[in-house]
Amino acid sequence: MRLALAIASFVVLIVHGLVFYQQFFHKWENYQTAYFDQARALSKTDAEKAALTARSPRIEQSLVTKFGENRVDRCITCHLAMDDPRFKDHAQPLRTHPYTAGMGDVQVNGKWERRHKFADFGCTVCHDGQGRGLQEHYSHGEDEYWPDPLAGYIVQANWRKDFSTKLKGKDYMQSNCAQCHTEENFAGTALVDRGRKLFFANNCYGCHRIEGLSEGTLGPDLSEVGKKFKIDYLWESIVEPRANLATSFMPQFHLSEQDVKALVIFLKSRRGVNFSETSLQRYRASLNAKRPPEGAAEPVALQGAALISSGEKLVTDHACTACHKLGSRDGGIAPDLSFEGLMKNESWILEHFKNPPSKIPDSIMPTFRFPAADFQAMSTYLASLKTPPPMPTPADTFKELCQRCHGEKGDGHGPIAIYLDPYPRDLTKAGFINSKPVERLQNSIKNGVAGTSMPSWGQVLNDNQIQGVLQYVFTTYTKEPRKEITARKVPEKNPVAASAESMARGEDTFVRRCSGCHGRKADGKGPNSLDILPRPRNLRNTAFVDSVSDRRLFESILYGVQGSAMPSWIDYGLSQNEVGDLVNFIRGINARSAARK
Amino acid sequence: MSQAVKPPSLWTNMRELPANVWHSLFRNPLPSDDLQRSSTSFTNFFLHIHPVKVNKNTLRPIYTMGLGLMSFFLFLILVVTGVLLMFYYVPSTTQAYDRMLDLRGTVAFGIFLRNMHRWSAHGMVGVVVLHMCRVFFTGSYKKPREFNWVIGVILFLLTLFSSFTGYLLPWDQLAFWAITVGTSIAAYAPVVGKDIQFLMLGDATVGQEALLRFYVLHVAVLPVIVTLLVAIHFWRIRKDGGLSRPEETATPVAVSVKAVELKKNKTYGLQGFVRGPFTKIGNTPDNSVFAWPNLLIAELFVFILTLAAILTLSMMFNAPLEEPVNVMHPPNPAKAPWYFLGLQEMVSYSAFWGGVGIPTIFVLLLLATPYLDRRTAGVGKWFARERLLANTIFMTFLIVNVVFVIIGTFFRGPNWEFVSPWK
Repeated sequence: MRLALAIASFVVLIVHGLVFYQQFFHKWENYQTAYFDQARALSKTDAEKAALTARSPRIEQSLVTKFGENRVDRCITCHLAMDDPRFKDHAQPLRTHPYTAGMGDVQVNGKWERRHKFADFGCTVCHDGQGRGLQEHYSHGEDEYWPDPLAGYIVQANWRKDFSTKLKGKDYMQSNCAQCHTEENFAGTALVDRGRKLFFANNCYGCHRIEGLSEGTLGPDLSEVGKKFKIDYLWESIVEPRANLATSFMPQFHLSEQDVKALVIFLKSRRGVNFSETSLQRYRASLNAKRPPEGAAEPVALQGAALISSGEKLVTDHACTACHKLGSRDGGIAPDLSFEGLMKNESWILEHFKNPPSKIPDSIMPTFRFPAADFQAMSTYLASLKTPPPMPTPADTFKELCQRCHGEKGDGHGPIAIYLDPYPRDLTKAGFINSKPVERLQNSIKNGVAGTSMPSWGQVLNDNQIQGVLQYVFTTYTKEPRKEITARKVPEKNPVAASAESMARGEDTFVRRCSGCHGRKADGKGPNSLDILPRPRNLRNTAFVDSVSDRRLFESILYGVQGSAMPSWIDYGLSQNEVGDLVNFIRGINARSAARK
Repeated sequence: MSQAVKPPSLWTNMRELPANVWHSLFRNPLPSDDLQRSSTSFTNFFLHIHPVKVNKNTLRPIYTMGLGLMSFFLFLILVVTGVLLMFYYVPSTTQAYDRMLDLRGTVAFGIFLRNMHRWSAHGMVGVVVLHMCRVFFTGSYKKPREFNWVIGVILFLLTLFSSFTGYLLPWDQLAFWAITVGTSIAAYAPVVGKDIQFLMLGDATVGQEALLRFYVLHVAVLPVIVTLLVAIHFWRIRKDGGLSRPEETATPVAVSVKAVELKKNKTYGLQGFVRGPFTKIGNTPDNSVFAWPNLLIAELFVFILTLAAILTLSMMFNAPLEEPVNVMHPPNPAKAPWYFLGLQEMVSYSAFWGGVGIPTIFVLLLLATPYLDRRTAGVGKWFARERLLANTIFMTFLIVNVVFVIIGTFFRGPNWEFVSPWK
């Protein structure tokens, strides 16, 4: 007992010793002593030497009270020679902060004078990092919990290794310069400016809102993104949009490294409330944003060729080709518009512009808020594009028209396929292709599939060419020879009358049998849907449901859809009457089709 | 007639001053015989909480494991470090986090005080639970100690609540979201749940009001209640006849002549008030030894051990300080403090039953235990065979809780989905 007591007491003693050592001997004291010694050696007068001898190490800090929110920056406790020009060639932490004309520093009588005085601005306002800390690990923000590590100098240990080296460089500080130097074309914030231009050139503005800049609603609001996220997260979100959210439909833009960097710096500069503007200025700006600029002349109604060329300019200016293909420019994300006039008429394009989901319910195309006249001009321009590409052989036809979505291998994984909903059909699945009559396949090519991204090719291809490309698909991709299609006993018209009771019964059956894949809302997003390709059909896609006959609905439910996950429900004991109720329910939830009856 | 006593001269007074001051402070010399040992315990304010003699069973380390004392000493460490931390802390949403940074970086001993406070708080929750287990498994809550058990259960709940209120004060992401989760568990209570949450937070969400409320509870209200209850808890130990021990089967030695003579002596009137067993004074042969130095040295040992453990832990591990609060950016998963993760885990199965129903039943059962289990057999023995049923029930509850806490702490990832910690 007594021995144990002695040992425990000894431990207490030792720990006390260690703690006292830790608390009273600081690294920064050594730096300060080194500074005093070296400065004394460099000083010329005795008075200067005496003053340095009199100094003893202590915590130095700049209290910033007149600039932004109050901050305490203790950086100068270690970096004591910041303003001492004699130390410009010393090693850190005792190196002079460089003087540059670019930062607005001026030389007066051979002596540099700073534009941004440390006493007024502190350090962290430009450099980030944690001003209150006195240990390198914490004050430089190496600690993974600190939201703003030294901009461009420090890469936190948990950042992704594959791009963390790209997150270094003094350029990253520009996002802090831009807090006060908000004007565009400011020389010191060139990368912020470049990022802002990229934000528009890549059509980021279509989906994302940034207060005072853009009004997109599809993606997250980025007004305060620089405050919320570190640069590694921003970089990752741009180059791999699905890294953090598997269901994100943000396109993966093909940007150069320099462009990504500029975008990251631009986004990092978005911090919501800017401390360089007063609340009154901010309020005025918000008032002005709602009011149209005064004296703006009523736009002259354009006609003919002038309208088309203004539309062309608008399509270019609004960066449509950040996603779409148009002529030689290709964003690699959305369908080819090069001969849109052959596939869609002007009114369809105009309506689609105003509200894309009204035509293709699951489209990711943002609803832009352009003036009606602009939409008109752009629609007219797109409708005027009527030159089909040359396609001498069916193989060329497939390459020109189909491959972008259905893929080089015909398996539905074309380059833009992941951005399309419903997903393009897998043409290699013989189970599906060979169980559908040739007429239906021809019809899908000729007239398109309503409510989906499959356009009608009837004006681009003549019947022979359609036959040709279909044969090409059969032989190249489907491969299995077509067989006689078994005739099913299916009613032409739904035998069950559409009544409220029938729909209620149908809904009941639907929730029990179908919602696992098609979802409770029948929108095709049930819990199992993510594991299934082709994805379960969105049964609220009114345009599609309207285009499908009762017969086809009956057949698909009763006998399943070969080559997809849809089973044959007759095997699971669904009677024809129950299917009738289901069909009534499906028709009933698509309001327009209910009105049609 | 005797000569009048000559008053001591001023010179003598001055010469004897240090000795007089010393003796008025320390009235007893280091005791060398039994009488002095008794009077040392009896006349010292800090020592008179001890009995003059304690049963040998009380001093068996394996019997109590010093857990009750350990909780008390941790509480003392918490009070001392807490008061020191109060000199630097400001319960304001704009300043609290900055103050944490100052404590970590600039204030002398700041980070060490915070570490000690943090690890003592976690340690206290654990040790109090272990202490409760010790009392249960030795059947020590039985008559006449029922009421002290009830106080103990209340102290356990207060310990949890003190720790919980302290969790918010650093005002970092960890604090903010743990309290958000913790208080929303309270909101699952029927009828009054939302009102309890509002009462705790002073708002619909965790904010300045909640910080101030938690601060006042943490530094004033709860410590005062705990201090009072701890005093009662100790006092009742004395009044209930010291710590529980097995019934002495037979008097070890036949009563000697001296003891018979003792009967003739005057019994002190005050002792007539004492009900139940009390420690005998005199040379009656029994199983007891003098508190000085036996009990004191044991207490000192527990104290030094506790202090050494906390100091070493504080030396080795820093108290966590995560990002400043960001209301818009919850961590995934947002977890409550570890001792509430069992609740959070149960909440993931059923909000009402996991968060309110089962815990309430559990606490009520704990409070009622000594009134439901009235058999007196098996007191004072670890895992007595006579108490197999009671011990098994308690052990089951305990293991289930511990397993839930472990699952909640280590096996739950984003969206509270099961993850393996070894991956």
